[in-house]
Amino acid sequence: MAKDPQTPDPKAPRGMSRFFRTVREITYGMAAHDMTRAALRTRASMEHLFILITMGDLLGVPILPPYYSMRLLPYVVPQISTWKRRMLREKDATDAIF
Amino acid sequence: MNTLWVVIFGTIVIYLAYNFYAKRIDREVIQADPKRATPARMYTDGVDFMPASRNVLYGYHFKSIAAAGPIVGVITGVNLWGWSPSILWLLIGVSFIGWASDYSAIMVAVRNEGNSLSAIAHRLISPRTRTILFLFIFFYLLLIAGAFVGILAPTLGARPDVPFGIFVLALMGLLAGQMLYKMKVDLVVVTLVVVVATILAMALGPLGVNLAKAPVDWSQGPISGAIVAINKSVDTAGPLYTVVDPTNADPRIPAPGADGKRPTTATYDAATGAIKVLPSYLLWAVFLLVFSYLGANLPIWRFAQPVNYIGFWITGLVIILSALGAVLAPFLNPAVAAFKAAAFKGFLPAQPTGAFQPLWPMLFVTIACGAISGWHALFGSVGTARQLEYETDGLPVGGGAMFSENALGLLSLTAVSISGGAGGVAFASGVGRLLNVGTFGALPVGYGTALGFGAFVVIVLTVTQLIFRLMRVTLGEWLGEAWGGFKNQHVATVVSMIAATLLLLSGTWVYLWQLFGASNQLMAALSLLIVTVWLASTKRNPAFAGIPMLFMYVTTMAATLVTAYNLYVTILLRPSLSAISVWGAWAMIIVAILLFATALVIGLDGWQAYVRYRSAPPRAAPAPARARG
Repeated sequence: MAKDPQTPDPKAPRGMSRFFRTVREITYGMAAHDMTRAALRTRASMEHLFILITMGDLLGVPILPPYYSMRLLPYVVPQISTWKRRMLREKDATDAIF
Repeated sequence: MNTLWVVIFGTIVIYLAYNFYAKRIDREVIQADPKRATPARMYTDGVDFMPASRNVLYGYHFKSIAAAGPIVGVITGVNLWGWSPSILWLLIGVSFIGWASDYSAIMVAVRNEGNSLSAIAHRLISPRTRTILFLFIFFYLLLIAGAFVGILAPTLGARPDVPFGIFVLALMGLLAGQMLYKMKVDLVVVTLVVVVATILAMALGPLGVNLAKAPVDWSQGPISGAIVAINKSVDTAGPLYTVVDPTNADPRIPAPGADGKRPTTATYDAATGAIKVLPSYLLWAVFLLVFSYLGANLPIWRFAQPVNYIGFWITGLVIILSALGAVLAPFLNPAVAAFKAAAFKGFLPAQPTGAFQPLWPMLFVTIACGAISGWHALFGSVGTARQLEYETDGLPVGGGAMFSENALGLLSLTAVSISGGAGGVAFASGVGRLLNVGTFGALPVGYGTALGFGAFVVIVLTVTQLIFRLMRVTLGEWLGEAWGGFKNQHVATVVSMIAATLLLLSGTWVYLWQLFGASNQLMAALSLLIVTVWLASTKRNPAFAGIPMLFMYVTTMAATLVTAYNLYVTILLRPSLSAISVWGAWAMIIVAILLFATALVIGLDGWQAYVRYRSAPPRAAPAPARARG
C-alpha cells in the first residue's frame, strides 16, 4: 500500500532537524529543481531517441530488428514501458513550453 | 497606515482564507485523497512524471509563478487608484479567486491523468477550444514581452548605475553554466563565485556618486559616468518621435514635485504631456533583446538557467531583507514605515486627456499576479501537477504558493506606498528604505535603492528571456506546419522580438500593461471555466470555481473593451500625435478585439458544455485507481 502522508513516519526528523530539512527542500525547489528537471529531460531525450532508433518497431516504426537491437534489448527492457508512454502520449504547445 | 498593519492584515487574511475556506474546499468539494494514485505515481517516467516532496514542489511552484507581475501591477495600481483599493483587491482576490485558480488547475490536471488544460478543454468542452487557446497564448506572451521590455528600457536609461550589474549578470550566467556543466565545479562554489560577483557589480554601479544629493549627478561615477556618456552620445540627434500616456503611468514620466506639478525632463515635456522616445531608449531595448535572445536560443543550461539561478539569490536576499525591514520599520524608524501614497483616488480618478480608468474593471486587470493569474494555472497544470506525490499536497503547493505570491504583492505595495512616488522609482526607493531598516542601517538608503533597482530589473529580465523562449516554441508549434521557417528557433525568436518591439515602440505602455493584465486574467477565467465544467461533469458543486470565473470573465472582457475604447479616444482621436502612435494604437485595438473574440468563443463553448453536463443523468463514478507502493 502507498504511504499515507497523514500517518506520522516514525523515522521522519523532528524539531529543528525537520525545520532545516523543510528549509533545505524549499530552497532546492526554488533554486535548482528546474535545473535538475532540464538535465533529466535532456538525458531522457537522448535515451528515447536511442531506443527509437534501435527498437522503433515496438511502436510500429518500420525498423527491421537487426542483430544489435536484439543484443541491446535486455538493457532497454526496463525503460520500454516509460518510453512507449512518453512517445505516444498526446502532447501540445503547453507541454512544449514548460 | 504603516507597514506593520499590512503585515498584520495580510497574515490574518491569509491564515483565515487558507484554513477556513481553502481547506474546506479541498476536503469537501475536491475530496483530495492521499490514497488515490496521482499521475506522478501512475506514470513515473523519471522526467515529466516524477513524484517530488511537497516542500520541493512548493518552492518550485512559487519560484515559477512569482515574477514581475505582483510588482509592476501593484506599482501601477497604487499610482492610478491609491493603496487602499489595491490592498483590498490583493487580499480579497487571493482569498476567493487566486488560490482557487492555482489549486483547481493543478487538481483538474491531476484527476485527468496529468493532461494540460488545453487537452482537457479539448475533451470536456470542444476540439476548437484547444486551437483558440494556442492563438490566445501567443498574443498573451506578446503582450507580456512588450510590457516588460517597455518598463525595463526606460529604467536602464534613467538609472546609469544599473546596466553594469545586468551586463555582469549575463557574463556570470555564462560562467556559471560553464563551471557547473562543463567543469563540474561544486554548486556551492559556483554559487559563491557568481552571486558575489554579480552583487559586487551591482554595488559598483553607483560607486563614486553622491547619492545623498538630489538630483543625483550620475556622471561623477566611473561606471555610471560611462553609461551617461553612452546615453548622451546616442541622444545627440534628439527624440525620434513622441508618444503620450493619458494616465501618467509610463515609467518615463516623472513623479509630481512638491508643488504637485510634474517637471520637464529629458524624456518628458510637462507642457504638452509628450513622452520623448529617445535613441537611448531604443539602445536599451536592443540591449534587453540581445540578453533575451541569448536566453531564448542558447541551450537552457548555458545561459537562461544559470542567470535565473543567480537572479533567485539576488531577488531572494532583497525580498527577505525588505520583508524584515517592513516588520521592523514601525519600531526602529516609524517615519520610514508611514504610508505616503494616496489612500484612495476615487472610483473614476480624473486622467489627463480624458482616459477612462474606472476602478471596476481596470484595477482588477492592472493588478494581475498577486491576486489571481492565468499564468499560474497554465504552469501548474503542466509543470506542477505531474510531480504531485499525493493529492493532499495540492493545496499546500498550489494554494500555498499563491498565498506566498500574494505576500510578495503586499511587500511591493508597501515599498511603493512608503516612498509615495510613482513607477519603478517608487518601488526601488521604498525597497532601499526597507533594506536600510532590515539591515539595521548597515546598507545606506542610496545603495539600498540602487540594489532595489537592480533587483527590479533582474526580476523582470529573467522572466522576459523565458517569455521569448516560450514565444518561439509557441510560434513553432502554432505556425510551424504552415511554414517550416517558423520551426527554426532563430527565425521564430526574431519574428517574436520584432512583433514585441513594434508593439512596444508604437504603443502606449499603460495600455500594453492593461491588455496583458486582461489577457492574463482572462486566461485565469478560462482555466476556472475548465474547472467549472469538469466539476459539473463529475456532479460536484462548482460554485467555488464558477462564481470567481463569472466575475473574472465579465471583468476582463469589460476591461478589454475599456482599453480598446481608451486607445481610440486618447490616441486615435488626437490628430497631433505621430503616425507611429496611431499605428500602435490600431495594433493594440486589433489585439484587444482578437482576445475578446477568442474568449467569447471559448466562453460560449464552455457554457454549452456546462449545460450539457448539468442536464446529463448522473453516472456511477469509476472506482479510483489505488496507488501501488
